[in-house]
Amino acid sequence: MNKTASVVIVGGGISGCAIAYTLAKKGVKDIVVIERDYLSSGATGRCGAGVRMQWGTEMNCRLAKYSIEFFERANEELEYEYDIEFKQGGYLIVASTEKEVNQFKKNIALQNSLGIPSRLLTPKEAKEIVPHMDETKIIAATFNPKDGHLNPFHTTQAYANAAVRLGVEIMKYATVTGIKVENGKVVGVQTDKGYISTPVVVNAAGGYSQLIAKMVGIDLPVYSERHQILVTEPVAPMQGPMFMSFSLNIYCQQTPHGSFIMGRGDANEPRDLRITSSWHFMEEMAKTCTELLPPLKELRVVRQWSGLYNISPDRQPIYGPVKEVEGFYLACGYSGHGFMFGPVTGVVMAEAILGETPTIPVHMLDKDRFERGELLLEPSVV
Amino acid sequence: MLERTGVPTKENIESVTPLKERLSKGPVAIIECFQEIPCNPCYTSCKKGAIKELIDINDRPILDPEKCNGCGVCISNCPGLAIFVVDESYSETEALVKIPYEFVPLPKEGSFVTGLDREGKPVCRAKVEKVLNTKAQDRTPVVSLIVPKEFSMTVRFLSLNDHYSDNTIVCRCEEITLGEIREYIRRGYQSLEEIKRISRAGMGPCQGRTCSQLIMQELAAATGKRLSEIKMSAFRPPAVPIKLGQLLGGDDHE
Repeated sequence: MNKTASVVIVGGGISGCAIAYTLAKKGVKDIVVIERDYLSSGATGRCGAGVRMQWGTEMNCRLAKYSIEFFERANEELEYEYDIEFKQGGYLIVASTEKEVNQFKKNIALQNSLGIPSRLLTPKEAKEIVPHMDETKIIAATFNPKDGHLNPFHTTQAYANAAVRLGVEIMKYATVTGIKVENGKVVGVQTDKGYISTPVVVNAAGGYSQLIAKMVGIDLPVYSERHQILVTEPVAPMQGPMFMSFSLNIYCQQTPHGSFIMGRGDANEPRDLRITSSWHFMEEMAKTCTELLPPLKELRVVRQWSGLYNISPDRQPIYGPVKEVEGFYLACGYSGHGFMFGPVTGVVMAEAILGETPTIPVHMLDKDRFERGELLLEPSVV
Repeated sequence: MLERTGVPTKENIESVTPLKERLSKGPVAIIECFQEIPCNPCYTSCKKGAIKELIDINDRPILDPEKCNGCGVCISNCPGLAIFVVDESYSETEALVKIPYEFVPLPKEGSFVTGLDREGKPVCRAKVEKVLNTKAQDRTPVVSLIVPKEFSMTVRFLSLNDHYSDNTIVCRCEEITLGEIREYIRRGYQSLEEIKRISRAGMGPCQGRTCSQLIMQELAAATGKRLSEIKMSAFRPPAVPIKLGQLLGGDDHE
């Protein structure tokens, strides 16, 4: 079945659904979201789902702050029938090296100047917030009570349901097989469920965004990399904030449901599309976690899985149109932070597509910043 | 073993299962009589001549499925309650199974019961289509059950207790009822992966070992698909929950 759309969004994760919702709310009709599997089946549904304002660049701080302020009112604004399970228990980011402490001091000055209430803590103060941590392993910490965690499936579903109520069509289990370009302009999208004529295509395909860009002849300066994660059995609430360390390579959060979700990066990870699970990760994760948070050694791991980070050269997103093909827009390269930027992605992308003045100026996050050498390197990434 | 348990083996069942083509054509008797006993009412009651003449009264009955029209007269005539009628042409996804039932109270037409297998284990939810209890049945009433097609050769008895009612807890880890699952399906979450993510069913320590099959049955029933068409959700390690402390190895851990 063939049809016509005003905008086709490739990817049914948080980004795609948020962009569709925001465009529809601004009055755009005939929006189609294409998802290869089920909603949030990619990186969105696989992520740790922590959200933080504590970043090292002004851009990321502002993007994250906007998103978290949206999450605070998302159940109401999206009129969601269930609950996105937003828990604002803060992020406790611990430092184990002097270099890290110096970076954190800079970060906090920046964050405070942007209205983010983060503060530097001594190990003793940090232990008051997470009593089961081994404070001898750290030399300082930062804490922002506004950071938190939410349920990625419900959040994506909340956006999707609101978008559908505004007339958006979501095609699940449909695969994009090609994008038609004529005279340098997007004219349509070919899927295994039919052809859609459209002047605008948004690439929100997460870990697969480079494959979608290839369909219009663009080599994106991003790559995908597996990141692994595990979840434990649920226990009574004992940890309020997300516990995180860049140098010791861990993030660990107790969800409102009671389970602990934790993950870490691996420097030796190959750059490909595999999303398998490894025993090596389990061992490394168990080691790091039980060293820093010893009582957790009694928790049983219920499940492990992995998802793709779509990594850009400066670890910040790529937003906006491209010069090569008119009507082709990018919302990718989040480098592991696409979920928490979901709401702001929806807003800045809708504004870019409609030619409106941006709420947050993101024109410097265009794809060509890498060619120009104008990288905005984010120092605070796990 | 049949002699010890009274439950026929897989080979026994296969030996009396008509060809797929015959089953799909319409009702046909399934004679699950596997022991030589001096008995012949099935043969004498069949007006179609579908059951081969028993030369020796101890002979086991042999059915010609092509002659059988599935009228079901033999069901009530069998003293051993060993004859059933299966109709796989009932609908696209459902089959009718006619069962002799000599208990009281009889199930009510239109009610939901639980289909049991030959060992008495619950298999699926079944709807009572009809209860035949006239003089002709001679106190061996015949109950017609609507079951998912894949269970037509499995369901051979029923329990009046509706194991698959809305209040039944389907996911024990997360305490989710069948009613909740049915509500999610009604709201459009029509795959196991989606239901898992929206409800948490299958995310608990058992990793969906109990609930996955039951939810898939519900999905099949609600979407008019066969159970085999419903996609399983991804299997993820570890197979059994394991303590973080055990993953460390070494001596100082149990």
